[in-house]
Amino acid sequence: MSFATAPSVAAKSPGSVSGIGDAWQMLGGLKILLPFAVLVAIWWAIKAAGDIPDNLLVSPLQAWNAFVHLVTYGVMAEYASTSLTMLGIAAFISMAAGVPIGFAVGVNRYAAHALEGFLRFLQGISGIAWLPLAIIWFGFSHTTTLVIVIYTLIVPIIFNTMIGVRAIPEGYALALRSLGAGRLRLILDVYLPGALPSIVVGLRLGMGYGWRALIAAEMLVRKGGLGDLIFGARTFGQIDRIMVGMIVIGCLYIVVDRLIIQPIENLTVARWGLLQR
Amino acid sequence: MSLQTTMIRLPALPGVSGLAWRLLPALPFVLVLVAWTLFWAVFHPNKATLPPVSDVVEVVWARMRDGELPAQIAASLTRLCLGAGVGILTGIVGGFIAGLNRNVAEFLNPLVVFFNAISGIVWLPLMIGWLGIGTALAVFVIWNTVFFIVFQNTVLGVQLVPEVLEQGVRALGGGRLETIRSVILPGALPYILTGVRSGLGFGWRALIAAELVGAPDGLGQMIFAAADYHRSDIIIAGCLIIGTIAIAMDRWLLIPIERRTIARWGLVLDATRKS
Amino acid sequence: MSAPADAAPRRETSSRRLLGRDGRKILIGIVLIVMVVFGQKLYGMATAAGRLDPSLRDAAEPRNVIVVLDFMPDRFHNERIAAYGTFAGRDGALNRYRLRGVTPENLRQLAAIPWVAHIEPMR
Repeated sequence: MSFATAPSVAAKSPGSVSGIGDAWQMLGGLKILLPFAVLVAIWWAIKAAGDIPDNLLVSPLQAWNAFVHLVTYGVMAEYASTSLTMLGIAAFISMAAGVPIGFAVGVNRYAAHALEGFLRFLQGISGIAWLPLAIIWFGFSHTTTLVIVIYTLIVPIIFNTMIGVRAIPEGYALALRSLGAGRLRLILDVYLPGALPSIVVGLRLGMGYGWRALIAAEMLVRKGGLGDLIFGARTFGQIDRIMVGMIVIGCLYIVVDRLIIQPIENLTVARWGLLQR
Repeated sequence: MSLQTTMIRLPALPGVSGLAWRLLPALPFVLVLVAWTLFWAVFHPNKATLPPVSDVVEVVWARMRDGELPAQIAASLTRLCLGAGVGILTGIVGGFIAGLNRNVAEFLNPLVVFFNAISGIVWLPLMIGWLGIGTALAVFVIWNTVFFIVFQNTVLGVQLVPEVLEQGVRALGGGRLETIRSVILPGALPYILTGVRSGLGFGWRALIAAELVGAPDGLGQMIFAAADYHRSDIIIAGCLIIGTIAIAMDRWLLIPIERRTIARWGLVLDATRKS
Repeated sequence: MSAPADAAPRRETSSRRLLGRDGRKILIGIVLIVMVVFGQKLYGMATAAGRLDPSLRDAAEPRNVIVVLDFMPDRFHNERIAAYGTFAGRDGALNRYRLRGVTPENLRQLAAIPWVAHIEPMR
């Protein structure tokens, strides 16, 4: 969620040509880079002035060197790929299973009422808490990680699908039915679009939880992924790798959240939005 | 957005008696317990894989009696209170400072978004070097998680207070502090509380994760240690307790606070506000 | 680009919106993710031909090879390389691996690894 200033209706003419300049401006350009430049400067200053040892903090230059090293020699690509792939697969399965379940539950008010509390309870038990049990069941494997992340993602998705369906005014469905629409038609034309904004919000929320659960799971399962990278680096005291890993984790999450999911959210709300914004 | 803010109150139908309607939420839990018991009776899985319900109940009972469970719960909750307390305070103060100044807010926004993206357990490997394994580490992780969420929401809340209200107080001769106290604080409160609620939710999860990785005591540590001995009954018991505390915290602590402050000030909470 | 004054206000259709701000963001986001996940792999595959010693191309049966890197490897690299054959120690330097019994398929995959410098036959 951005809290920068007033509703940002782009005041650009709709016909402007897309290009590097456009992308630069769209991404906020200087406004985005300047704070980070200042941050790096402060980071460098703290390291230098405080004469902090390398086993506690490394300088931006050292971190950069580590980054180049990790990227050139294929390490970063593989660890980052693993994390992103896990997240992608989990998201796909969670949506594929969660949305239908949410629908099935949502259309029936008794089922919805019954499941609401249960889902909240599951939501309270974060996926990470189940990690030890998952390790006992599935060992130290990618399956464990996947199961945990799917669990973390699917609960908000089911919940929000349920809510999305329930929030659709009965009138729409009745109107279509009176015109002779069959069940499939109803789902496609009323329920799915109506619930979609809520579903995407649920996905976004789930991703926030899920990415953290993924990193935590990778830290414990140690079978690849960025969590493994930074936790493993701890064992060898490679602070430069830890810091690089942290930055990459942050950047990748921002790319996924702000460049992919948030725009999808905006699109679905703009198109079908019943939510107040 | 926390799930909690979108609770829908469905009216009871005339066809379903009030009592049945109220008991309905218990149904999934009952079904799970029944299925679990049946599964165990039929398949007799290894106790390390899936213990019977009775084992879990026994473990909870025994550990409650000898005081171990309360101690673990207390340890975890203490860390949560410390970390979240500092996080909420710093978040609100920082949020106000940033929210009242447009330029500061705009400058800090990218940084806050970034640090929120790595909030919590991502700091663990780095901070182990600074703080060692223990309470300090867990508290830092929680502070980290809670601070950025509360900060963001506070800034949003402060910024969204209609300027006209501020000007009204000024016109009547109120100073800066007066404006803040009587207009901005109540106005931003719904968002702040949403942030607090969300922050506590994330914070609790981050705490468990931090304790899983390394802590001398606490619920997360209890679960993790149990895994070493393949004591699934302890693990499941721990998970259920974690979930119960999460719900209890939200239901009996936060919702009443929200209700009392917002109802008192007659403010409308935007149900779709996300954190 | 404004519509003539007497035209009905143009409705934002889905396709138009898809090309707008959000659509572009999604595109950039997907491109970035794809680059991160597949980028180096694709580069490795594209340059695979240059890595294999000529005598190893079109190998029809398992060969013994030496995998050469042009940097000091981490444990990470040791593990990855050892998966492609029977590890038989280093060949003089830490960045030269002896691998026995590398199947033609594994040979192809080894050649496609971007951080491998080149692969020679073992004498």
